[in-house]
Amino acid sequence: MTPDIPTSPHAPTTEPAETGRMRTARVVLIAIGVLGLAWGAYVMFDTVSLRRLPGVALWIGAAIVLHDAVISPLIFGLGVLTRRAGHRLTGGIIVTVQAAIVLGSVMSLIVVPAIVAQSYAPKNPTVLPLDYALNLGGFWLAVMLGSVLVSVGLYARSRRANHRPSLRQS
Amino acid sequence: MRRLMYEARAQLASPVRNPRMATVVGRLLGVAFLLCFGTGLYSHFLQEPLPWMRFATRPSGLYQVTQGIHIVAGIACFPLLLAKLYVVFPQLFQYPPVKSVGNLLERASIALFVGASLVEVTIGLLNTYQWYPFPFSFRQVHFALAFVIVGSLLVHIGVKLPLITAHWRTTPTPGPDERHPVDTEQDGTAPDDSDATIEAAADGAGLSRTGGVTGRVLSYIDATPAVPPRVSRRGFLATLGLSVAAVVGLTAGQTFAPLDALNVFGPRKKGTGQQGVPVNRTSAQAQVGTTALAASWVLTVAYRGVEQSFSRDDLLRLPQTDVDLPIACVEGWSQMASWRGVRMRDLADLVGAADDTAFRLVSLEQRGSFKQTEMGSEYVRDPLTLVALELNGETLDLEHGYPARMIAPGRPGVLQTKWLSRIEAIDA
Repeated sequence: MTPDIPTSPHAPTTEPAETGRMRTARVVLIAIGVLGLAWGAYVMFDTVSLRRLPGVALWIGAAIVLHDAVISPLIFGLGVLTRRAGHRLTGGIIVTVQAAIVLGSVMSLIVVPAIVAQSYAPKNPTVLPLDYALNLGGFWLAVMLGSVLVSVGLYARSRRANHRPSLRQS
Repeated sequence: MRRLMYEARAQLASPVRNPRMATVVGRLLGVAFLLCFGTGLYSHFLQEPLPWMRFATRPSGLYQVTQGIHIVAGIACFPLLLAKLYVVFPQLFQYPPVKSVGNLLERASIALFVGASLVEVTIGLLNTYQWYPFPFSFRQVHFALAFVIVGSLLVHIGVKLPLITAHWRTTPTPGPDERHPVDTEQDGTAPDDSDATIEAAADGAGLSRTGGVTGRVLSYIDATPAVPPRVSRRGFLATLGLSVAAVVGLTAGQTFAPLDALNVFGPRKKGTGQQGVPVNRTSAQAQVGTTALAASWVLTVAYRGVEQSFSRDDLLRLPQTDVDLPIACVEGWSQMASWRGVRMRDLADLVGAADDTAFRLVSLEQRGSFKQTEMGSEYVRDPLTLVALELNGETLDLEHGYPARMIAPGRPGVLQTKWLSRIEAIDA
């Protein structure tokens, strides 16, 4: 396959002509938005001590780098690998397996910090009172089990469909 | 370089990466952001009201609901935000990286929008775990970033408005031309292999399909079968729906009682803690162990030079009232409980306070942002507002504010001042 060059998703026919109302709405939205940004910046400088601001900037920058340079390529690679590994299977099964991995990962993203926070002896026993590691393991297990069940169902359905002549063929 | 950028976008192309999907996911994320913003502002002003502000005291579980929504919507933002970023990811590889001054500003605002959003939801989540590994104060930064995010959101909607309206409703499938990145403004210049500006060997990564590591990786990716677009799109939306349902459904039980049995990941659990009520700040953290248990403890109520002091026995001899009110924390958990104690308005009347008097509540706490809080007259005069002496049929536990604490309808837990020592009128 040759790499297809991205083409415009909105051909001139589907692009709405910018009406006067649209233009006004855009100007108003952007103007209020800029005011909001300015207010946010003011509140930041007003309430957060100056020596803490580099830390805020660092976290914002790190979040962008972490997402764009680590999480996204990982997800891309995972997508390619699952499609590769499942090239003999129907799309539904590949998507089911991908969904299970995504579900488990999103939950881990939220729960692993809780497990880490728990490891610092809590000063307050009513904060993080559950066994989050155990529950996360159970969640992964349930998700994998669910995806196996759905995949088996999809596989059986595609086998039956392949063995049965379609109406058009008969 | 241009070839590389086109290559990246072509490789990242996917049936779910289109303006329609960006609109669908963006709408949901926008709603979640605005819910967080609105409920967050409400919580902020409850804690730091402007002088003219008065608040609703009914329904008595109002704050429980608004703050529950704040946390639930915030958690839902994790899958929604990641999904939105997944859909628009190819936009990162726009070429040329900057087209005009307007484009530069737009890209800068998007970078700020994305970074600030990721930080906002992350520190919000960590705050519910009472874990602060970041080098700045939570409250101030979480508050300031909220305006940055909503401002960026409005700018973003303004910039993309023609695209959003064009894809607000579903349009007929564009057909074979589906594998394109989102929102490309193609100016008709296709990458030309003979283009002299191609910096093929500049970084040692050959762009030719036949040689080099990059070439082989790209060929490998090219040879990977694609999932049918329809299955891919439906799978994406189903995954997003399931993820939101999972992160919300398995945590929301910390405030939403019907989901309590499913609460396996919430940072709080209903019914834990002394007398079945969780605690935000312990007596050890507040360092009130000795002062709160001292036999000489009295509660002083003051209004314009009139001061009356009550021992715990004095308070117990005053008319007692029973109320059922939730403790609802800024961190999103809540717990219904039964309280017994003296009506705040009775105490205010004993010192002859006027109906519109607001009071300052002073705790035995020596440090902490909430050792002193203020209570507007709407809460002072409410028949449900108590200086509580008992909780769930027992003498108030030290962790819950013994000898006496405030409990009022519709207020954040941090304002339900524990270990009371003084209640004084604020001079108008």
